[in-house]
Amino acid sequence: MKGYKQYFRKKIIWFLITFVVAVLLNFILPRLMPGDPVAVITAKSAQGISDVSAVKQIYEGYAEQFGTNQPMYIQFFKYFKNALVGDFGLSFSQYPRPVSDIISSAVWWTVCLQLPAIIVGWLLGNILGALAAYIRKGFDKVLMPITLFASSVPAFGMAVVLLVFFAIKLKIAPISGGYGYDMIPNFSWNFIKSIISHYQLPFWSIVIISIGGQAIGMRSMSIYELNADYVKYSRFLGIKDRKIVGYVFRNAMLPQITGLALSLGTMIGGALVAEIIFSYPGLGTTLLAAITMADYPLLSAATLVITLMVLFATFAIDIIYGFIDPRVKAAQFD
Amino acid sequence: MWKKSKKVLALTLVAVMFLMTACKPKETTTTTTTTEETPATTTETPATTTEEPAATTEEPVAGELPRNETLYYAGLQWGAVNGWNPLSDDMNNALAITQAAGGSRTPMFETLYMYNMLDGSMNPLLADGDYMWNDAKTEMTVKIKSAAKWSDGTPVTANDVAYTFAANVKYATAQGSQLSPYIDSVEAVDASTVLIKAKLNDAGAAVNPLIVVSYLGQTYVLQEAWIKTLEARCNNDAGTVKKDKGEDVVYSGPYTKYYADDQKVVLVRDDNYWGQDASMWGKLPAPKYLAHTIYADNAAGEVALKAGEVDVCQQFIPNIQDLWLKDGLPISTYMPEAPYGVCVNMPTAWYNLSSYGLDNVAVRKAIALAVDYDAIIANAMTNQSPTFEQVPRSLMNPTPGEQAAFDHDAVKDLQWAGNDIEGAKAMLDEAGIVDTDGDGFRELNGTKLSYNASCPNGWTDWMAAMEIVAAAGEKIGIEITTNFPEWSVYQTVVTAASQSDYDIFMMWTDSATPTQPWGRIRNLLSSEYNGVEGNWSGNWGHYSNPRIDELIKLIPAESDATKLKEYYTEAVEIYLTDVPSFSLMYRPDQFHAVNESVWTNYPEMDDGNNIPPMILVNGYGIAGLYNIELVN
Repeated sequence: MKGYKQYFRKKIIWFLITFVVAVLLNFILPRLMPGDPVAVITAKSAQGISDVSAVKQIYEGYAEQFGTNQPMYIQFFKYFKNALVGDFGLSFSQYPRPVSDIISSAVWWTVCLQLPAIIVGWLLGNILGALAAYIRKGFDKVLMPITLFASSVPAFGMAVVLLVFFAIKLKIAPISGGYGYDMIPNFSWNFIKSIISHYQLPFWSIVIISIGGQAIGMRSMSIYELNADYVKYSRFLGIKDRKIVGYVFRNAMLPQITGLALSLGTMIGGALVAEIIFSYPGLGTTLLAAITMADYPLLSAATLVITLMVLFATFAIDIIYGFIDPRVKAAQFD
Repeated sequence: MWKKSKKVLALTLVAVMFLMTACKPKETTTTTTTTEETPATTTETPATTTEEPAATTEEPVAGELPRNETLYYAGLQWGAVNGWNPLSDDMNNALAITQAAGGSRTPMFETLYMYNMLDGSMNPLLADGDYMWNDAKTEMTVKIKSAAKWSDGTPVTANDVAYTFAANVKYATAQGSQLSPYIDSVEAVDASTVLIKAKLNDAGAAVNPLIVVSYLGQTYVLQEAWIKTLEARCNNDAGTVKKDKGEDVVYSGPYTKYYADDQKVVLVRDDNYWGQDASMWGKLPAPKYLAHTIYADNAAGEVALKAGEVDVCQQFIPNIQDLWLKDGLPISTYMPEAPYGVCVNMPTAWYNLSSYGLDNVAVRKAIALAVDYDAIIANAMTNQSPTFEQVPRSLMNPTPGEQAAFDHDAVKDLQWAGNDIEGAKAMLDEAGIVDTDGDGFRELNGTKLSYNASCPNGWTDWMAAMEIVAAAGEKIGIEITTNFPEWSVYQTVVTAASQSDYDIFMMWTDSATPTQPWGRIRNLLSSEYNGVEGNWSGNWGHYSNPRIDELIKLIPAESDATKLKEYYTEAVEIYLTDVPSFSLMYRPDQFHAVNESVWTNYPEMDDGNNIPPMILVNGYGIAGLYNIELVN
């Protein structure tokens, strides 16, 4: 147990160091982009104003509110202090809307779209990979090539194909949005149906392209493990097939779990394409808008959410690995 | 462990299913979300609306907008609405709050007059009859309609008009800052009479009577009592006033807020709207709801228009005629033939006069001569613009009113239709600007002429135009490369007091407003904007000509038509001689494509109604809302 304690302590220290560096980068990097977002929002108020001092006054008013007239380090400490209590300030691009409000209304759409899509894609991929390795036949000769073909289609290509085929040509799926263009959100069966039907295309556009990658990884790992010495040795010893399959799975799954955790961590950035093609509300489109509008506060907060998710995901893998594969822990102390 | 979780999972599923069955649409208690968003200020029953919104109870199915009662828009709103406070410039609420000289959007808030760009007329809305200048043209009197009422049932008075203007100035809103250099005060003589006093120059004449007229169709009138409520809760602090969401705002227009989230904004008709009085429209507008879905981009909006999910689309759609000619869709535009709309804007390529060689008029004019404008209009605009042969270039847009403002014969020799490569080459040769080192590009005093042509990334029609400008440079021996930065960067550079990043760059000009074509001359040529940081007003190439500045001062004060025509002609002569910028195309103020699968009888050119193609909400364009009819 002592070994585990030391292992965790070490992991936590690294986690914290990475976190601080990430927060710092999240703050600095958006601010290195060219363009002046204060000028962008000033522009909205200043169009048509010929009075020089009036424009300057508006600009300074905004600069004061956003604190962009202060030195960078003061801005950073203020940002850090407020971020700790979940206050990311006001958005530039959607001024005067608070960043936390934008993120909290967008993040659920993304999580509800991506989380099931990633898990379903991962499960289907792994089952297919395992079946292709064990049973071979049709799984290996027909299904594998098809899913590989599908996963080599770029995400936007898949989304557009689904949109054109199912929504525009066949007219069996809605063309855009998170719910019907003629609906007002309410707790009714019609609305839930509308949500579900709008969910289909973005969901499958993510699932279809993720199956192939997962399947090929699982297939290779399974084949490799099936031919490993310990499997042959176990067979010599007369250990039951079911027991051996258990060993094989445990070993073959390891890299797959890493893959799952990482894709969960990066899901927000990954949702971008589906969200844009289907005008689906979510953090992906919010992030893109923030980038094009040089919206520092929104950009910093959105990237912070992503950073935290990736950090937690990798941290969780490290910890879980320590349990499921003692070799990993042991390697840390070599 | 697994058994335990199975139990929990099963319980959760049962709970979810129970909740779903408990909330079938038939029940009247299904308006949880809607009630929160429904305005608390619906005319007659302000106190009870939070309990039972009137609009919801009449609907066949809760939470659905009946298709044949809703007019859907696209191309105006690109993100969630921030609020409903017209004193703020940051509400991002295109459908309800857009105050512009070319005709403010009036479904929720109203102006004194509605501008009609077709004939330049000002049509009374809250005002009663025409406005009247005094003889010296320094003061203007406007009467208020006796029928005009606020949404809370109180009458609209002259005090409201005066207080709104004062508040705009006090809180330095865009309207206040824009108008205060020209309007000294807006006063209430009595409850129904407004006196607008123009700011006077040293000679005792109005600084600019055109802008005073512009105010009438541009600035919303708000309720004095509501502004005072707002001020009280914001402690009269300008920043707080402008950040307030104005959820309780009192309005005078035919529609009010109904629902808004990240995906849409919906306005609902106020059936107590004062405008159904015989002194105004005599009826209510046809659609019960105005809805705008928030699409991710133009492509999504276009797909929705084709699918019939959008009725009125304010987006540039390339080759729009294909929608009805090839696809057979019930989509139409204001005019059945090219250019399909009334083009009033003139997207222009500006020369950065501080770039090397661009201070030389021969270089400027040669590039402008060589550009193939027909290719721009055919490819970039897909013929949704008249050509420069049809409407020869000047400072005026193609509308008959503006075209009549100057003497066409006097400037005939100065105009060019483009693609004149030989003429451009000869002009450069004559100026001694030749290729001396044999690299294929000309030099001026030994330095190669090399420029970038810039416009915002993703503005595809502009980008195509800039490519054609670059190609023209190549043909006459001037190196021009294209450069497409992001809009957020682009606009900071272009509006800076001085810049060396872009040599040739695109911006728009003024559209049709009551101050035109004077406003556009100022916009294109006035040196008053030189040295201004954050200059959104014009002259982005930083041109300076004392005679032009003089003309810009003379025109607004001139009432003699002959003299006016002389001034305008002189301005056009100077512009076409000095070429500080050159227009690349003509373009509508608002794109106006309509799908007639649900609604029909939209405004069309020469249909006898004289309603401008302003998407049925801008200026006098709103008259279209009273004319449209259901197909079935």
